[in-house]
Formats: sequence, C-alpha cells, structure tokens
Amino acid sequence: MAEQDYILKVNDLKTYFKVGKKTVRAVNGVTFDVKRGKTLCIVGESGCGKSVSAHSVMQLLPVNGKIVDGSVELMTKDPETGEMRTIRLDQLPRSGKEMRQIRGKEIAMIFQDPMSSLNPVYTVGSQIMENLRNHEKISRKEGREKIIKLLAELGIPNPEIRYDQYPHEFSGGMKQRIMIAIAMICNPTMLIADEPTTALDVTIQAQILDLIRKMQREHGTSVILITHNMGIVAEIADEVAVMYMGRVVEFGTLKQIFTNPLHPYTKALMRSVPVLGMKKDEELATIEGSTPDASTVFNGCEFADRCEFATPECSKRFPVDTVMEDGHRVRCLLFEEGHPNAES
Amino acid sequence: MLKYVLRKLVALIPKLLAISLILFVMMDLLPGDPLTRAMNPDTYGQLTEELKEQYREAMGLNKPLPVRYLNWLGNILKGDFGWSTSTKQNIGNMLAGRFPYTVELSLMSVVIGSFLGILFGYIASIFKNTIIDYGLTLCSVIGVSVPNFFFGIVFLLAFAVKLKWLPTGGRMEVGGATDFFHRFKFMILPIMTQSIGLIAALMRYTRSTMLDVLNRDYIKTARSKGLREATVNFKHGFRNAMIPVMTIVCMRIPMIVGGSVVVESVFNYPGTGQMSLTALTAGDIPVVMVTTMVSAAFTLAASTIVDIVTAMLDPRIRME
Repeated sequence: MAEQDYILKVNDLKTYFKVGKKTVRAVNGVTFDVKRGKTLCIVGESGCGKSVSAHSVMQLLPVNGKIVDGSVELMTKDPETGEMRTIRLDQLPRSGKEMRQIRGKEIAMIFQDPMSSLNPVYTVGSQIMENLRNHEKISRKEGREKIIKLLAELGIPNPEIRYDQYPHEFSGGMKQRIMIAIAMICNPTMLIADEPTTALDVTIQAQILDLIRKMQREHGTSVILITHNMGIVAEIADEVAVMYMGRVVEFGTLKQIFTNPLHPYTKALMRSVPVLGMKKDEELATIEGSTPDASTVFNGCEFADRCEFATPECSKRFPVDTVMEDGHRVRCLLFEEGHPNAES
Repeated sequence: MLKYVLRKLVALIPKLLAISLILFVMMDLLPGDPLTRAMNPDTYGQLTEELKEQYREAMGLNKPLPVRYLNWLGNILKGDFGWSTSTKQNIGNMLAGRFPYTVELSLMSVVIGSFLGILFGYIASIFKNTIIDYGLTLCSVIGVSVPNFFFGIVFLLAFAVKLKWLPTGGRMEVGGATDFFHRFKFMILPIMTQSIGLIAALMRYTRSTMLDVLNRDYIKTARSKGLREATVNFKHGFRNAMIPVMTIVCMRIPMIVGGSVVVESVFNYPGTGQMSLTALTAGDIPVVMVTTMVSAAFTLAASTIVDIVTAMLDPRIRME
C-alpha cells in the first residue's frame, strides 16, 4: 500500500503523567495508523488511555503530561509546493506556531461534553468564526455566509438567527452540532472525536454519528472516533484499535475484529455486549476482576490477571505485536511465533 | 438589557425605604432622646420638667414614631439632613466639606487596587507554580493577613518620619496651593495603605478563579482551534474569570463614599470616614444616621452595579 494512503501514523507512542511523585503511564507504547478518508475507532474501557492518545496527537495534554517516546507522523500537503510531506507532530513545541497551524486546520477535535465545551460568554457564530479566521484569510461577511451554510448542512434550523445566539440557548445535541461546525469549518484532513455522543441521549447519538459520517463523506476527512460503545464501532468504523492499560492490544479492520477477534480481551469485550434476541434470563458476560490502578508497574501482559487463557509465562514477559497474514495485529503471547497455540 | 437595568433600579426604592425604617427605629430604641444627647448632661439636669417638656414639644419629640419617621425621611429627601448635636453644624455642610476629598482618595485606591490586584492575579495564574507565582502568593498572604493600619503606620514611619519624602498626614499644605497636584503628595501614603488589602484579596481571588476557568473544557476547545496561548488565556480565560471577580470589585464601591475609617484616622485625613468615627464616639445620632444611610444607599447601589456588570459579562444572566 502506498505511503500516501496514510494520513496519520502513530508509532510506539508513550505519554506519561507526573502525579505527585508517581509516574502514570497513561499511554505506554501505542501504535496505530489512520488511512485517508477512513474511520478508525479506538475502543477500550475508561482509563485505558484512548483519550490521552488522541490528545497526544494534538499535543493538547495537561502540563503534567508529556510524550516521552515514540512518534506521531502526519502526512500533509505543503502549502507552498503542494507536495506531500510528513510532519513529526511529537517533535513540535506544544504551543508553537507550527503546532497551532495544524490544530483546527489539519486536525480538528470534538469533545465528550458539548455542554461545557463551548465558551458561555461568546455567541456560537463568533466561536466558529474564531477558528475560521485563525486559519483562513476571509472577510467577516464571507465567513458568516460560509458558517451559516455549514450550520444549515448540519441540520440547525434558522441558522441566520442561531448564529448570533449564545451556547446556553442550545440543547446538548445542538451544541455538539456547533462543535462539529467549529471542527469542520476549515475543512480539516482529520477529525478526532473524543466520545462525541457519550453525554447525549440515545436518539441524538445516532443523529450526531450520522452527521460525522456525512461530513466525512462530503469533505473526505479521516476520522478517529474514540468510544467505549461497541454498537457505535460496528456502525461507523473502518478499522478498530482495541486498547487496554495504555496499549493497543488488537488492531484490525472492522470485519477482522468483529468476526474473528483474536485477543482474549477483545473476545471478552464482545461477549459483554448485549445482543438483540438474547433470552431474558441469559446472563451478560462480564470480565473478571477490575482494571488495575493506572500507576501499576507490570512485568508481563497487563491483562494476564483477568485473562481466562493466561499461562504462567504471560505475567513474566511482555508480549510483542504479532501481525497475521491479513494485516490483523494482536499483542498476545498466544499468537507469537513458536507458541504451541499459535495456530489455534 | 435596558429593561433589565431599569427593573434593577426600581427595585432599589423599597430596599432603601426598608433600611431607613429599620435604622430610624433602632436609633429610637437607644436610651435617651435627641434632647438629652444635644445637651451637656449638667445643663440637662438643671432643666425643670416643664422646660424639658416644652423643648420636646418644640423639637417634635412627643409625636408618635411613624410621624417622626416620615418627617425625618421627608427632610432627607428635601436635602435637609438636620443638625449635628456635637458640632452644632448643618450635616449637609459637614458632608459637603469632606465628601469630595474622601471620594477622591478612595476612588483612586479602588481603581489602583483593582487594577494591580487583577493584574498580579492574572500574572500569578499564568505563571502557576513558578517562582513568580510563589512570590506573588506570599505577598498576597501577607497583604491579606496583616491589618492595614499596621501598613499605614509602617509607611508613615518609613516615608514620612525617616525619609521625610511625604507629609505625615492632613489633606493639604496650610496656606499652600490647593490644586490637585499639590494635594496629591498627601494622598500617596493613604492610597498605598488603602489599596494594599484590595490588591492582596483580588490577587488571590483572580488567581484562583483564573486557574478554575483555565481547567474548563472550553479552554481546551479554544486550544484545539490553534489559537495563541495568550489569546486563549485572555479572551477565553480572563473574560470568564472576571465574572466573579467583578463582584468583589463592585462591593468596594461603598468605601468610595464612606471612606476608610482606619486609613483616615491613621493619616489624619479629614474625610467622611473620620467624620463617622467622631460622630460615633460623641454619640452624635443625627450624623451617624446620615452617614449610615449614605453607606447603605451606596452598598445597595453597588450590588445593583454588580448585577448590571455581571449581566454585561455573562449572557446567561442578561437573558433570564
């Protein structure tokens, strides 16, 4: 596959947080890539590092968080020569000019809670305009027209009037539409959506997902969607990265992950999703034990303690990524070469 | 917005009336009456009961409380504040001679204090957990915890007594020029003293609200747009942090007219604060009532200004 097909490559990314004297390894060697125009879903339970991975890409980490290792590469068109080039995002100063030109322009982001993600004291129109005029030379009048057009596309009724209203005059779903408008107004090459529907009620969730898909289709945007909801993954993903304790344990296409999950954690995750047609008294599977504390130091596989297939060797050494013939990648001893079960 | 302001202003009237009524009744409950307070106790003791009764009748003291209250209120509304029992002067004239100087002094203290307090607080929040922040925080803890008369006395000793740069007190040179520039050197130390507490308090408050606001999600949204750090901090952070801070600033407005009793005493600055203090110690009820009423009126005005300013800063309040 040609290099240009990738928009973003994250390789062995490590992001650590200093909390008091402890170091929390929130992201501990994460590798994934995003193809042009495709959707990558990052799934995992709370605290597995999926949000931090996304924030690391944007360099939007809190001050105590730091990328300590690995690389984040963004393919982008050189604004002058028009040639494709690769930028190492992890090496740019976090609030320097280059990073700021990428944020909002090349990579845009929408967040989990639309209620608190808009500044209450400015009109929604001016908050969209702010991103537009930060990256494009455009007059206020033209900008306003462009924004109103986008608001209409996003299904906001009376966009002319809504433009001059404040966030508190919008419902949660409408606010998330505004967030999408802020993100999409500069036509970014990539959109990162960090649990964009978690704070919304179910009927609105579907609408927001549809909008993200529509935007992706019309603007050719690549999407990273972070979620813990397998239903959403099934609906929207082209590729899936399953994360556990700061690592990607399995990476593959939607079909690979859903029809042939390899990693015991992914399998367990699939079993714990309720399916339509389940018997009333049928018990939903749960994963034994609980997520270890984030500052735990491991000597072997992080999932070993909760894994039903664990062998004594599992907690003694770290598994390495094994790539199957079809590109399906899993990080588990069971599939490593030379393991007796490797071909099971 | 205009409707909002008008409604707030109309709401002031009943509040002021209630305060004046409570004040009048409470002063009436104090032992003695205006006659006993107006006179030297020895003179009062020598009066015959008949004469006392005549005086009381003449002063309108025998009328029932509601009538006396309405008379007093009517006079105040007409601009007649009555007579001081201790200085025998017209209270209106007394106020007129002091009021402008107190306003001049306190207004400058509040403006300078607010500006510096908010500025230092903003700087401390931007340089959070650095030596700049620690230094400013240490200063503000000292400023908040040491009473301001102490600073006043220290400044007096240092700048007026030892260095002799500035006068020790008063309002202007006796027989000298009275224009602002000649009076200003008399105001430097009082302004420093008066604003120190405000600077310290506002600095701490601005710092903590700024830090709180900078943790909000919309700050992350602003950063995700690729805005400059200074724009994020000021346009998105500061504007929101100012909403609660303005409350503290506006609550200092009554001090502009009431004056600071402590500072005016330390620097022997003849303003309304000093006038209230003298009246209180002399048991000069008419003066105390007027100064209290004036303070109360401006306190209410201040809270109305708070409402209007926050409404200007925060669209959620503006709409209702």
